[in-house]
Amino acid sequence: MSQAAIDVPKGGFSFDLCRRNDMLAKKGVQQPSYRKTGTTIVGLIFQDGVILGADTRATEGPIVCDKNCEKIHYMAPNIYCCGAGTAADTEAVTDMVSSQLQLHRYHTGRESRVVTALTLLKKHLFSYQGHVSAALVLGGVDVTGPHLHTIYPHGSTDTLPFATMGSGSLAAMAIFESKYKEGLTRDEGIKLVTEAICSGIFNDLGSGSNVDVCVITKGHKEYLRNHLSPTPRTYVSAKDYTFSKKTEVLLTKIIPLTEKVEVIEAGDAMEE
Amino acid sequence: MSIFEYNGSALIAMVGKNCFAIASDRRLGVQLQTVATDFKRINQVHDRLFIGISGLATDAQTLYQRLMFRHKLYQLREERDMKPETFASLVSAILYEKRFGPYFCQPVIAGLSDEDRPFICTMDSIGAKELAKDFVVAGTASESLYGACEAMFKPDMEAEELFEIVSQALFSSVDRDCLSGWGGHVFVVTPTEVKERILKGRMD
Amino acid sequence: MKLDTSGLESAAPLVGASSGFLDGFADAPSFEVPTTNDFDGFQKEAIQMVKPAKGTTTLAFIFKEGVMVAADSRASMGGYISSQSVKKIIEINPYMLGTMAGGAADCQFWHRNLGIKCRLHELANKRRISVTGASKLLANILYSYRGMGLSVGTMIAGWDETGPGLYYVDSEGGRLKGMRFSVGSGSPYAYGVLDNGYRYDMSVEEAAELARRAIYHATFRDGASGGVASVYHVGPNGWKKLSGDDVGELHYHYYPVVQGAVEQEMVEVAGA
Repeated sequence: MSQAAIDVPKGGFSFDLCRRNDMLAKKGVQQPSYRKTGTTIVGLIFQDGVILGADTRATEGPIVCDKNCEKIHYMAPNIYCCGAGTAADTEAVTDMVSSQLQLHRYHTGRESRVVTALTLLKKHLFSYQGHVSAALVLGGVDVTGPHLHTIYPHGSTDTLPFATMGSGSLAAMAIFESKYKEGLTRDEGIKLVTEAICSGIFNDLGSGSNVDVCVITKGHKEYLRNHLSPTPRTYVSAKDYTFSKKTEVLLTKIIPLTEKVEVIEAGDAMEE
Repeated sequence: MSIFEYNGSALIAMVGKNCFAIASDRRLGVQLQTVATDFKRINQVHDRLFIGISGLATDAQTLYQRLMFRHKLYQLREERDMKPETFASLVSAILYEKRFGPYFCQPVIAGLSDEDRPFICTMDSIGAKELAKDFVVAGTASESLYGACEAMFKPDMEAEELFEIVSQALFSSVDRDCLSGWGGHVFVVTPTEVKERILKGRMD
Repeated sequence: MKLDTSGLESAAPLVGASSGFLDGFADAPSFEVPTTNDFDGFQKEAIQMVKPAKGTTTLAFIFKEGVMVAADSRASMGGYISSQSVKKIIEINPYMLGTMAGGAADCQFWHRNLGIKCRLHELANKRRISVTGASKLLANILYSYRGMGLSVGTMIAGWDETGPGLYYVDSEGGRLKGMRFSVGSGSPYAYGVLDNGYRYDMSVEEAAELARRAIYHATFRDGASGGVASVYHVGPNGWKKLSGDDVGELHYHYYPVVQGAVEQEMVEVAGA
C-alpha cells in the first residue's frame, strides 16, 4: 500500500539481495563467513530441576571475536535455552520464540510449558530445512516437572536426562557419560555441568573462556553468569604504552552538545 | 577475494570514562586501486550516537540510508532520540531480515546513553550482536586491530588519552593492511561535546 | 623424472669445466618434476599454494647520463603487508642491476644465479658481460621453465661497452629491449607520470626526481605498493644508490598540509 508499509517490514525474511549475491558468487566472489558459536553447551536433570551450562567464546573463522558472550538465552521465566551454531540464528530464533511465549502467557495467563517452546522452535527450524543453523539445548521446569530437550538445526528433537551440543559436545558428553547419575543434588549438578563445560573449553578449539550456568527449579531460577573463569588473562602489560610520535591532527571540529533539559511547562503557560 | 575486501576499510570503537571514541580510515578503493582518500565511513545518527559501516561501500550506504529512515520515523512517532541499545537492535533486525541474502557489511555502533554511559557494539553481516565492554573492531584490518587494541586498551581513559590510544591503534593496524589507511577520521564523544578530528597518516 | 635444461645452456666453453670444481654452478639448476597425470592441475594447485607476493612498482629508463632504476619496498600477501622494507633492486654486479616483481623467491634466486653466470663469463672471457647477454641468459632460463609456475617480471639495467642497456624479461619467456619500462601492479600509475615527464636530455637530478615521483604516485594509488622509494643510477662507472625516501613523508613533502584551526561550532545563545 503506502511506501512506508513496504519499507518498514512486518517480519519474515527478505530475499531481495539473493539474486545479486548469487551473481557475485558465480563471478567467483567468496561468500562471507558468519559469526559462529563453535560451542560447548550442556544440560542435565537433577533432583529438583534442570541445570544448563555453556562456554562463552564466539568465533569468526579462526578469530575469537567475543571472549565473553552469552549463550544461555532467556525463553520464559521458567525456561532457558542454550544455543550453538550461527550466532545470528540462535539469537533470532530464541528471541522470536520467547516473544511468542510471552504473548501466549498474556493470552492464557498460565506459565509456559517447555513442550510449547520445543514445538515452536522445531516448527520454525524444520520449515527452513536446516538453513537456519541453530542447535539448541532447551531446559525448563513447568507444571509437569523438569524437562530437557535437544533440538537440531533440521528440526529433529530429543528428550534426554543429560544432553550436550556444539563442537565441544563430545568432550562434554565424555564427562556426562562417566559421571552422571540420577538424583544429583544441586551442588553436584552444578559441579558436573561445570566440569563438562571445562572439558569442552580445554579440549575443543571452538570453545573457550568462561563457564555460564543456569539452574532452574520449581518456581525459581538462578543465572550464574561467569560461574567459573578457568582461563583468566595472565598477560597484562606492566606499564603503559608510550608512543614515539604523537598523532598529527589535520583538522579538529568541536560540536558542543546541549544538555537535555526536561521542559516542565508552568500551569499558566496555557493562558490566552 | 572476499567481497568484504572489495573496497577495504578499518573501524574501531573504544570505551573510556563516560566517553567513547569511534574511528575509521579514509580510503575507498576498488580492490587494490585507491579511488578516494576522503571517504566517510562513520555517520552520526543523532547527537550522541554514531554508526560506522565496514565492508562493501554500496551496501554500507544503502544500509545507512535505511537506518536513517527508520530512525527519523522513530523520532517522529516517539518525539525522542533512540537509545543506543534500541538502535543496535534495529540494525540487527534489519540485517537479519536478509539472512539468506545479506548486505555485505559489518557495522560498528557507538553511543552515549541518557545516563552518559558509553555503549559500543558490532555485528556480523547477518546481525549477530556482539556487545563488548572495552572495544570493538571491523573491516579488512580487523585482525591487526584486535591485536593492537588488545594490547593498548586500558579501562577508564579520559577523552584525550582515549583519542591517542584509538588513533595509534588505528594507524599501527592500517599500516599493515594494503586495503585501508590513507589517513584517519576520529570522533570522541563526551557528555558535553563531540570532537571530530581528521588525522594525518601514511598515504601509501 | 627430471627436466633437462642443459640443451639451453649458452655454450661458452669453460676452461677446466670438467674438472669438477664448478659443478653445480655451471649447470642451470634442475628441479624434480612431479609424476602426475594432471600436470596442469598440479601446477595450478602448486602456484596457489605458494601464492607469490604480487604488489610492486618498479621502473627503469635510459636517458642521456645512463639508466635510472627505481622501486618501492612493500611486500604483501593478499591484503596483509608482510614487509615495508624489501630490497626490490638487486645488485647483480657493480655495473648491472635487476628489479624484482612477482614472486620474491623466484626473483631473488634467479638473479643470484644470473650473478654467478655473469661472473663466470667475466672470468672466462676477461671482459664484463653485456646487458644484452646477461638478459638473454636469464630469459633463456626462464623460458626453459615456462608454464611451470615461476613468477618473475624483471628489468635488467646496466652499463656495458655499448653504453647504457635496459631489458625487460619475464617468466612467460618475453625479453624486450627498450628505453622505458615499468613492472608491477603499480606500473600503470608509474607509466602515467613517467611518460608525462620523460625527456632524453635530463640531468641526473631531474631523472632521479622523475623516478622518485613516479614511484610515489604509484604507491599513492596502488594498495600493494608502498614503503620506501629507492632510486639508483647506473652510469659509465657503475651503479650508485641516489636516494631512499619514505613515501609516508614524501607525500607531505610533495603536498604540504597546514594544520587547520580548531573549528568550533557556535552554541546557540540562550534567549537571543
